Amino acid sequence: MKSLSQRWYEPQEISTLRLWLPVAVGVNLLLSSIEWIRNDSLALQLSLLGASALFVLWLVLPDGEQIWKRDVAMGKAGLVLIIGVIHYAAGMRMAIDLWSTLWLIGPALLALWWLSSPVISAWAKGSLSVQGAEDGLARNKRIAPRLGAFGSHILLIHAVMLVLIPVLWILDVAMSPGNILGGDIGVSDWTGEHFTKMLAGDSSFWIWMRNSLIVSLGTTLMGLALAVPAAYAFSRFRFSGREGSMFAFLLVQMFPGIIILVPYFMVMKSLGLLNTSIGLILAYSVTALPLCVWMLKGFFDTVPRELEEAALLDGCNQFQVFWKVILPLSLPAVAVTALFSFLAAWNEYLLALTFNTSNDMYTLPVGLASLISSTGQAWGDFAAASLLVSIPVVILFIVFQKFLIQGLSAGSVKG
Amino acid sequence: MVEVRYESVTKRYENGFEAVKNLDLEVNDGEFLVLLGPSGCGKSTTLRMLAGLEDISEGNIMIDGAKVNDLPPGARGLGMVFQSYALYPHMSIAENLSFGLRMSKGEDRLSDEEIVRRVQETAKLMELEDQLDKKPKQLSGGQRQRVALGRALIRQPKVLLMDEPLSNLDAELRHQMRAEIRRLHETLGTTTVYVTHDQIEAMTLADRIAILDGGELQQHGAPLDVYNHPANDFVKGFLCKHIDEIVETANNLFPKE
Repeated sequence: MKSLSQRWYEPQEISTLRLWLPVAVGVNLLLSSIEWIRNDSLALQLSLLGASALFVLWLVLPDGEQIWKRDVAMGKAGLVLIIGVIHYAAGMRMAIDLWSTLWLIGPALLALWWLSSPVISAWAKGSLSVQGAEDGLARNKRIAPRLGAFGSHILLIHAVMLVLIPVLWILDVAMSPGNILGGDIGVSDWTGEHFTKMLAGDSSFWIWMRNSLIVSLGTTLMGLALAVPAAYAFSRFRFSGREGSMFAFLLVQMFPGIIILVPYFMVMKSLGLLNTSIGLILAYSVTALPLCVWMLKGFFDTVPRELEEAALLDGCNQFQVFWKVILPLSLPAVAVTALFSFLAAWNEYLLALTFNTSNDMYTLPVGLASLISSTGQAWGDFAAASLLVSIPVVILFIVFQKFLIQGLSAGSVKG
Repeated sequence: MVEVRYESVTKRYENGFEAVKNLDLEVNDGEFLVLLGPSGCGKSTTLRMLAGLEDISEGNIMIDGAKVNDLPPGARGLGMVFQSYALYPHMSIAENLSFGLRMSKGEDRLSDEEIVRRVQETAKLMELEDQLDKKPKQLSGGQRQRVALGRALIRQPKVLLMDEPLSNLDAELRHQMRAEIRRLHETLGTTTVYVTHDQIEAMTLADRIAILDGGELQQHGAPLDVYNHPANDFVKGFLCKHIDEIVETANNLFPKE
């Protein structure tokens, strides 16, 4: 009869492999689908082979009873290693091939190293003493956080790269001479010519920037002016048609924007609002309204009613209650909503393209797209301009970040 | 002379439910009246109608001989302490205290110096002098309770309303605050209406108890009178039996020599 410790002990390395090997299999399958798309049949076969070998390795991970399992697992890991090396030797050595190779060689080396370590071999024989199992459990507790951190960092690096690579790429295009897209990253001579061209006094960029700012700020103000009172009313008052309007708000969100494009165009045309900022401001605020109202209502719902009653007894009327108590408390939510409206307007392309057809009234997204015309494709200018366009957004996020994390409401009620 | 009078007051909700039925009750000048009853007996609704937070379906509520049925809450000259304190989280303690004074308009409006003086005075009364610049969340539960009381008292209300103000405090603090509330009442002599479901709280605080059940007034009178002469089975069960049990438990724990 085994002791409790003996029954429960499994070296942390084995548990870790049990958890990570499926991830490695998944990544290799993902990579093989990319290789399939790229029509790289050799790499595809090697990746699939590697993935299945990793899967078998996962199946035969030792269980601390039969030593042969460890030996088979070692063999499988060695096989994966060989496949990885062939993949490296045969591959085209682009970034993606290196990455793909690493996802074979890395897990294989890790498994080989761990399976051959004295701790694991002692355990895999199945003759561990009670004392040994207890020590092992204590050791597990020690190294588990480190192994966990290692694993999560590998995943995080992937996430970061996913976000950063496009930015780095566009930065590379923006700083390379000429207006070409592609080529190797970082080998050409750096130049700031695209930025200077975009920022030059007579560039259309400033006109687009001005239009975008007017439209986005206008949308934010107009959107908030409409959404804040509406959300408050939906949250606090019970009136006939309340449920219906809330549902209608959700309903209009379900239609794709392109459906309303033509009606919008007709309305704007008959109102004479084509090629104006006001037209876009109206369209954007109305489009963003449902989501803003729902977001704000959700926040207003969390503000305790007793706060309002206290303010009523302190002599406020309904408007003062809202203005002096509810609104200051809701600043974080209002900030998030404002940010949302601003971003939506800042990035919108389709409506802006349809309504405002003269270069003087282009917003930034439309202006940027006009750089890639059929006559001349100014990729360098385009890349430089896209980076410049992101700057206000980044600044906004830094400024609003404080609000986003502020828990103003804490402590209002008993705590 | 401040007296509160409920004249045949009924509260009926839209779905036809009657929370308070035909209530006749007087609160005399300077009296500490406790509304006592189990959950859902209508005691909070009774208080909230007086505060102006609930509409009155039938009958009249008079404060000082004037009908207040349709006056907004802020115009009735009341101070109220809520169960959750309901302090304004974005204002400092001083701002919390002075908010009501700063909201008043016209001839009621005090000068800024007077407001500062009142805040100091109230802070002293509630032992909050060192907390005036802090935000509510930096205060302990007991201190928040004092701010809530101070905020209700600073406008020198005609009637002080309290809705289960102690129910979120721990036993020790509750005991302290109970003594404090009684002391304040004796110092200031403000007419007070206090809602609770705690029999001991009612017995120790009240000049007069009004017991409600199912929206109807069961009995009212001095605590000991009610205890000694319960008018019906409900009062007997809810008040007398409960207190007898506590006394019995205490006697068993500490047998007399």
